[in-house]
Amino acid sequence: SDGAPGPGHWDADAAAGGLVDLAVPGGAFSGRRAPCLKNPVLGPGVLQAIRIFHTRQPSLAPIPCVPEYGGKVCLGLIPKEFFQFLYPKTGVRGPYVLGTGLILYSLSKEIYVITAETFSAISTIGLLIYVVKKYGASIGEFADKLSEQKIAQLEEVKQASIQQIQDAIDTEKSQQALVQKRHYLFDVQRNNIAMALELTYRERLHRVYREVKNRLDYHISVQNMMRRKEQEHMINWVEKHVVQSISAQQEKETIAKCIAGLKLLAKKAPSQPVL
Amino acid sequence: MNENLFASFAAPSMMGLPIVVLIVMFPSILFPTPSRLINNRLISIQQWLIQLTSKQMLAIHNQKGRTWALMLMSLILFIGSTNLLGLLPHSFTPTTQLSMNLGMAIPLWAGTVVTGFRYKTKASLAHFLPQGTPLPLIPILVVIETISLFIQPMALAVRLTANITAGHLLIHLIGGATLALINISATTAFITFIILILLTILEFAVALIQAYVFTLLVSLYLHDNT
Repeated sequence: SDGAPGPGHWDADAAAGGLVDLAVPGGAFSGRRAPCLKNPVLGPGVLQAIRIFHTRQPSLAPIPCVPEYGGKVCLGLIPKEFFQFLYPKTGVRGPYVLGTGLILYSLSKEIYVITAETFSAISTIGLLIYVVKKYGASIGEFADKLSEQKIAQLEEVKQASIQQIQDAIDTEKSQQALVQKRHYLFDVQRNNIAMALELTYRERLHRVYREVKNRLDYHISVQNMMRRKEQEHMINWVEKHVVQSISAQQEKETIAKCIAGLKLLAKKAPSQPVL
Repeated sequence: MNENLFASFAAPSMMGLPIVVLIVMFPSILFPTPSRLINNRLISIQQWLIQLTSKQMLAIHNQKGRTWALMLMSLILFIGSTNLLGLLPHSFTPTTQLSMNLGMAIPLWAGTVVTGFRYKTKASLAHFLPQGTPLPLIPILVVIETISLFIQPMALAVRLTANITAGHLLIHLIGGATLALINISATTAFITFIILILLTILEFAVALIQAYVFTLLVSLYLHDNT
């Protein structure tokens, strides 16, 4: 059980307990808890002062409506109910006759004395009636306009709030619709990634191919070089030995043969046209 | 006739009971408390008027002076409504009594002066000597300023009393003149009646203006002292 009630909760037990305490004359309220009550003169006053009022929830709604139009009056003073009241006995003209009769009676018997005040009354009341007749409606409209402005202001706030919430709802809906179409984005991203992977794979494959080719080329070129070197070496060796093997006499014979051949050719040559 | 002239200013009593208290409290009935957000026309117009007047009157005051807002607004409403109600025939106007006006003016004026002396002693004392006075004139001027200070509440009370009383007396006299002239010559009586109507219009204006002036002066004294 929670010890103290939450904020806004009326603690019935404490109130009832408090009331019970109050009921016992000076019982629970000893000098320790309420020394003010021990005073015989002021004690009862304090008792009444600390009595708990408003023990029920106040009823604030619904409040009664303000009537839109005031009661109907005749001559601005006498309510129409009076005319209705006299109608069964005296008819339509009854109240007017009554009024005229009363006025004439009071004047003739000098119950109402015509003094200086009468004229000031005529002028004041006449002025008031004139002002009310001329400007009454416009002042009423002005008052209505004031109320309307107040309501319009609050209505604007309400509408703005509703609009805000509506915009939030629309934004939320569009966001939700976008979420439905998110898979396109993911597909595109997936494709991108796949392509990137493919690209990387191909690139690396190509690189591997190139590396391997490089190494093989190297070996081939090494082989070629070796073969060429061997060939050259062989040729050089063969040449050297052939040249060595050619004796001096063989060389002379060969050279004489060549010269004889050339002379023959030289004899044949002038018969052919030079190109 | 003489007795009748001043009879309307006697303190009213019904069967020996002073009902002047009831008459003084009566105008408060005419200002209902606004209990809802949108009220009837009377309350709406009164609210609008009070807002207009209070904004205009409290614009010159600082934070300290604005604590007097309720006092000043109640003052102008009371004096205005009492004066206007006094224009109705056979009514008693409390503000024609010097006693009541002194009772309003002296405490308000004293309040402003004491506030000034408590919180801004030097500045309040400095009011006794206007700037730029030649040296030999200073003692005389201090005396004059003191007298003018102490005359302020008297002036407030007497101004209000005299204006309203004079207006009522004039209306009474001219009404009496009209009454007397009716048997002699109707045209003159009619002209006098026109004068009476114009005077009534003036009195309506004076009623409101005097209320305004009273409150404005109190507010000015407050402004000097806060």
